[in-house]
Amino acid sequence: MIRYLARRLGQSALTVFLTVTAVFVLVRLAPGDPASAYAGPTASPEDLARVRAQLGLDESVLAQYGIFLRGLLHGDAGMSYSFRAPALEVVLGRLPYTVTLAVAAILVTAVVAIPLGVWMARRADTAREIGASVLTVAGQSMPDFWSGVMLLTVFAVLVPVLPASGFTTWAGLVLPAVTVAVLQIALISRLVRREMAAALAAPYLTVARARGVSERALVWRYGMGNSLIPVLTALGTRFAALLNGVVVVEVVFAWPGVGSLVVRALETRDYPLIQATVLVTAALAIAVHLLVDVCYPLLDPRVRLGKAAAA
Amino acid sequence: MSVPVSSSPLPPSPGDSSPARPSAVTPRVLARSRASRQRRATRVKLWLGAGCTLVVVVPILLAGLLPLPGPNEQDLAQRRLPPLSGGHLFGTDQLGRDLLSRVLHGGQVSLAIGVLAVVVSGVIGVLAGAAAGYFGGGVDAVVCRLLEAQLSLPLLMMLLLVVALFGPSVPVITLVIAVAQWPELARLTRSLVLVEREKPYIAAARVLGLRRGVILARHVLPNVARPASLVVLLLVAQAVLLESALSYLGAGPQRPFATWGRIISDGQDYITTSWWLITLPGLVIVLLVVGVNLLGDALREATRRGRKADA
Repeated sequence: MIRYLARRLGQSALTVFLTVTAVFVLVRLAPGDPASAYAGPTASPEDLARVRAQLGLDESVLAQYGIFLRGLLHGDAGMSYSFRAPALEVVLGRLPYTVTLAVAAILVTAVVAIPLGVWMARRADTAREIGASVLTVAGQSMPDFWSGVMLLTVFAVLVPVLPASGFTTWAGLVLPAVTVAVLQIALISRLVRREMAAALAAPYLTVARARGVSERALVWRYGMGNSLIPVLTALGTRFAALLNGVVVVEVVFAWPGVGSLVVRALETRDYPLIQATVLVTAALAIAVHLLVDVCYPLLDPRVRLGKAAAA
Repeated sequence: MSVPVSSSPLPPSPGDSSPARPSAVTPRVLARSRASRQRRATRVKLWLGAGCTLVVVVPILLAGLLPLPGPNEQDLAQRRLPPLSGGHLFGTDQLGRDLLSRVLHGGQVSLAIGVLAVVVSGVIGVLAGAAAGYFGGGVDAVVCRLLEAQLSLPLLMMLLLVVALFGPSVPVITLVIAVAQWPELARLTRSLVLVEREKPYIAAARVLGLRRGVILARHVLPNVARPASLVVLLLVAQAVLLESALSYLGAGPQRPFATWGRIISDGQDYITTSWWLITLPGLVIVLLVVGVNLLGDALREATRRGRKADA
């Protein structure tokens, strides 16, 4: 177990490192000059040169990379150009908002999608179930910027019961969380349906039913118990993806999270901020994946972590 | 057919409805059996999907031939006319341009990018997946690590990064969407090839002295092409959504192209007074993506069942 964890942590660190390196190279490959964004439109060539020297942009890319890596070892991802503050602090300051939104959305998803999926599996291919599955396809097909704006119009403009944007009260969480959850519910409920349909058709379930196990225990203890691993994996994967910033939804609702920060960092060519954002979100996403994997043996005693990794 | 119909997983042939020998299994019971319910569900999805897709795709393809004003023809005297007025089926936008014409021409851009992106990602994905599955060893390791790395990256953030840095031209956007989508096809092809390469006809081809590349290209690929092609429709749906999200965030093809994402983000400012500016384009996107998704789902289900019946 400890050896397994150590190896996984090592792999994760390597992945994060490679990701950050890739982003480092990518932003420097691209056209566009952060110095001119930093110094403003009226800057003279001398000003630009001074800003470049000040930001360390006049060094070779390799030297910049060395400075960047040395900084990382000290927990320093450089100063954000546009915020004029440590980039890591800026990102970490936005993180709670993104995490709040992700947790809320994934809770709504789990609470709605699992019962919905189970119901769809039990009533498979009846008229009502076909209707429901067309609806889940629709949920999966809605662009989130559109459903977000529509929800906003209905519940914040036409019937003003909820705040439209930002995060001042907890009610402000409702619309963004629902917008995010629509897509997630569609994806997860379809997965639950598939898994449960397979579990409900399994021979051991027929045996259990023949022995008089109640229908509720059949579905939830026997069927769900055996479908839990793929469902939990999917929820974990979706949650990790949400942590990476629900860019579009954050922009629509002016949510002060990491996603809207990225859009701004890209507009201003804020290299350190872009790098710090990718570093933080990639590390978080990988941590969530690891956590989900570590949970498997708790759900299914047949799983042994070392072997699962070898297989 | 000597098997009693009630326990047969096969769909009943037409002759079975008037059995020569007496049977308790009436056509009504048959119609309610699992197999026929499944077939009915697939058929409903197929027709519904085809209907939704055609309703959107046919006008888009004919956009140039329809008697519509040009997508960029402004008429400031006719700003923000509601739908069905002044000869504008979808109304006009804030610059007096015909909304239907803009949506249809925007659809041409979206569809072209979507289809092109899927073609490119198909080529990359199938080749990489097939090589990984067939040659194994080092090739497999490299492809698998690449897949893992990409799946742990924040997708939309990376797309925004690349588009923001390299400029939102149509080739860049197409390529970016293609790169975003190749993992799905690569993984599928790899798993299909892994099964295929163990079959006797491959061994026979090897014994006959064919080179490995020839076996892969002439014998393995044609056999995995059909199952792999079934996900293509689902990928097109995804690509259209991705493109519209990018152009909503301002990272789509630039003017003069009217794109779905930008029509909606422009119309957002007038949402309280002119509901049609974002509602109608959004509904068109949903209709198209729902249609393509349903069609893809139905085709997959039908093929899967067909294969089970063969076995």
